[in-house]
Amino acid sequence: MRTLTTDVLVIGGGATGAGALRDLALRSIRCALVEKGDLTHGTTGRYHGLLHSGGRYVVKDPQSAEECARENEILRKIMPHCIEETGGLFVVTPADDESYAERFVAACRRTGVWVEEIPVREALRREPLLNPRIKRAFAVRDGAADSFLATHANVEDARRYGAQVLTYHRVIGLERVGDRIIGAVCEDLRSGETVRIHASFIINATGAWAGKIAAMAGMQINVVPGKGTMIAMNHRIVNTVVNRCKMPADGDIIVPIHTVAVLGTTDIAVPDPDVYDITPEEVRLILDEGECLVPGVSRMRALRAWAGVRPLYREQDVGNDRDIPRTYKLLDHETRDGVAGIVSIVGGKWTTYRLMAEHTVDLVAQRLGVTTPCRTADLPIEPWHDGAASAPRSSARSRFAILASPFYMLGHRLAEVEADDSYGDLICECELVTRAHLEAAIRTDGTANLDDLRRDTRLGMGPCQGGFCTYRAAAIWHELRNGVAPVAHAPPATALIRHFLQERWKGVTPTLWGDQLRQERLNELNYLETLAIDRLPEAGRDTIAQGRDYVIEEVV
Amino acid sequence: MRTTIVIGAGLSGLMGALALAEAGLRPLLLAKGQGATHWTAGTIDVWGADERSPREAVQAIRASQSYHPYALIGVHAVEEAIARFRALTEASRYPYVGGLERNVPLPTAAGALRPAALMPVTMAAGDMRLGGDVLIAGFRELRDFYPPFIAANLAAQGIAARGMYLTLPPAFRRREYTTITFARMFDDPAFRSEIGRQLRAHRGNASRIGLPAVLGLRDPLGAVAHLQNESGAQVFEIPTLPPSVPGIRLFTLFQNAIEQAGGRLQIGSEVIRGEGQDRHLTTIWSEAAARQQAHRVERALLATGGIAGGGIRADHTGIVRETALDLPVRAPASRADWFAPRFLDPQGHAIYAAGVAADARLRPLGADGEIVYENVAVAGATLAGADTVRERSRSGVALATGWAAGRILAGLVS
Repeated sequence: MRTLTTDVLVIGGGATGAGALRDLALRSIRCALVEKGDLTHGTTGRYHGLLHSGGRYVVKDPQSAEECARENEILRKIMPHCIEETGGLFVVTPADDESYAERFVAACRRTGVWVEEIPVREALRREPLLNPRIKRAFAVRDGAADSFLATHANVEDARRYGAQVLTYHRVIGLERVGDRIIGAVCEDLRSGETVRIHASFIINATGAWAGKIAAMAGMQINVVPGKGTMIAMNHRIVNTVVNRCKMPADGDIIVPIHTVAVLGTTDIAVPDPDVYDITPEEVRLILDEGECLVPGVSRMRALRAWAGVRPLYREQDVGNDRDIPRTYKLLDHETRDGVAGIVSIVGGKWTTYRLMAEHTVDLVAQRLGVTTPCRTADLPIEPWHDGAASAPRSSARSRFAILASPFYMLGHRLAEVEADDSYGDLICECELVTRAHLEAAIRTDGTANLDDLRRDTRLGMGPCQGGFCTYRAAAIWHELRNGVAPVAHAPPATALIRHFLQERWKGVTPTLWGDQLRQERLNELNYLETLAIDRLPEAGRDTIAQGRDYVIEEVV
Repeated sequence: MRTTIVIGAGLSGLMGALALAEAGLRPLLLAKGQGATHWTAGTIDVWGADERSPREAVQAIRASQSYHPYALIGVHAVEEAIARFRALTEASRYPYVGGLERNVPLPTAAGALRPAALMPVTMAAGDMRLGGDVLIAGFRELRDFYPPFIAANLAAQGIAARGMYLTLPPAFRRREYTTITFARMFDDPAFRSEIGRQLRAHRGNASRIGLPAVLGLRDPLGAVAHLQNESGAQVFEIPTLPPSVPGIRLFTLFQNAIEQAGGRLQIGSEVIRGEGQDRHLTTIWSEAAARQQAHRVERALLATGGIAGGGIRADHTGIVRETALDLPVRAPASRADWFAPRFLDPQGHAIYAAGVAADARLRPLGADGEIVYENVAVAGATLAGADTVRERSRSGVALATGWAAGRILAGLVS
């Protein structure tokens, strides 16, 4: 058993937890964060990547819209490298109620969401695949956000100010003395060790899992895990975020992010945030609705589908999930449940993560008697480059204007490859992940499997879905961690391959047909016929545990 | 005018075209692009799902799986195809060794042991039943071959294996490296001498050395002999991820043999539809520059592959089609039945056994069991009834059904 002492313990390594950690650290409050998986392993890593302008909520949920509009500007300022300035459009398709548009514009004015109507011709010039029969188009300040990168950047910045981060640490109990929570007991999933963390205060930032943590202290939080399913298309069918101009509903948005475009989403309440699957009906619905925005989209190549669970907070019964406000809620358990030393932050959007963190830490600081004000709205976050922080900055890079842009630009990676002349080093050709990128990410403390590398580098996220890079990354991992000396047991890298292939399989099957099915069969030829990984000796679970390097959970 | 048409340039189409060319029918082979040769290891895997010998397994299949492609043509046709193939490779001075009697466990680029019935002689010393120390050597510059990982897995299976990286001589540095780049380097004797010297210096106790299957495109046998001389050990190739150098050699060998026998290959001509009457295919159309080109047909061999090759295509509504002639397809009734929850499920995924049903003369059948076209024979992965990747029979099925289809269409099988 290890013991650790801190002032504030943050539970949850998603956007909100990472934001709270940085906020605490900037106020010089001693703090630590625990996460049961990798950073962004939960909902943060499973959303479409929309930086909200606020437009989506102006009519239905004006408070959320106002928050989004304000935070949108702040995030652009403090972490431009995590954001692509795509801009956004709200379009009235033939299937939509035309009267909504006037309400939409009026509500934008009321809530401070920037909006400008543009001619349909202009919208079609910007986005040629858009339905030519759209009736009106409104430009807004939507953007695309890299939630993986942003979370890492927050955490790295917090570390610079002394914060501690423990990934693959699952909270198994809260320590309660009388009416006060004084710490948490965690299991280190890599070593199996129990870790006791003493803390003056705990921030429960576990989103859809908040109810599970609260229950450990005998409290009840009504979080409805609202499953949202998304489909990634194999290229950017649009370069602007495109929304239907109507009340928010299923399948009404397309977000271009990095090399793909994401069609989203659905909203289905699920009983458990860890147990859900994607139904063919959902996939069909998203594609059918997508046809209203981009005709022909259901015949284009879909890469994979995935779902995230929204942490919708329900104080009392409302009819429909979509009617639960998207704004956030800070629960002060001392006043709410008579239990001191813990707060929960639930609900909200990725776009408002910083505001949620600020609000939460304000309360915690007050309880701890700290008067230092929040600085996260003004102090830019040091850029943290996805795993390649140590990559040499060659002088050749100065020739590439795109690399000087503070904002993320599509083509950034290609420019890096061209500047560094690293064509021969591409391990994942689809997403332009170089060997240097990958090796830096493997060496990063906390990386426990190939799926973690995917979140760090986008490995395996392109059209071939790991068909080539799974093998390469695992073999490189083996060399970095074991060297070239022979080992006595079957290398755990084999388990990494099987785990990642299964993880990819789970994501591709809902959208597997046409060219993507063909690709998947080629991947079978690679892994079964040419490499025969099904016949490799199994690395025992003991070996994996002894390695203290790998966390491989079953994916079905 | 060439009226004997082969559609598809994978192993089954090539073998069928060879049979038709040797029968004097001057076949025209039309293909959308390169076939599976370029994507796969270049060995002939007849059966590897269990420990039986390939011959035993093929003989037994008729009783257990009457729709299996092997069951349709019978073990005799498989033997005949293998014999012809071996003779062809010997005459082309790129001999394949092995046979139906037993499988040879060959190491893969992950260090697994993969059962193959026949292999190019350049891979033969990779037989892992042979004893002695093995050195696995490769190049850091090649993304698809990792000696330490391969050796670690071989060692875990009780094989005395060690992995090492060779140093690329400065004169051979390139901007980018693929298997093809390396194969061209190995065509150069100066490169081989340098690599051979390094192998000798590092081989230690190893009596055999495994290298990535990139040992030249022009004269791989010469390259292996040269490396053996320099290093003092036996040298063998280990197949890599695509593009496959042994596969390209195999394609080239067939191309030469077919052309010498009077056939012609036209790669880049996708067949998009066919037309017939009275159970007789009369015309097919291929995509050509800015137009569709019609070909009159007396006999046609359909070998466009399965899901991977593009001969069978499934859409998002669950409809599965044969893409060249729109023949009836036997496939799972609904999309819900296509996949097993596990990628590595030993039973495989039902969609991959989808294809065209055929009779014993490999003629395409409709849902009612009626022959669709009398003058068409179907071969390879286009045939329904087996997930040949799980069986480790893909290249064996392609070779044998391709040969059988060609012989049947040539009227040489009664």
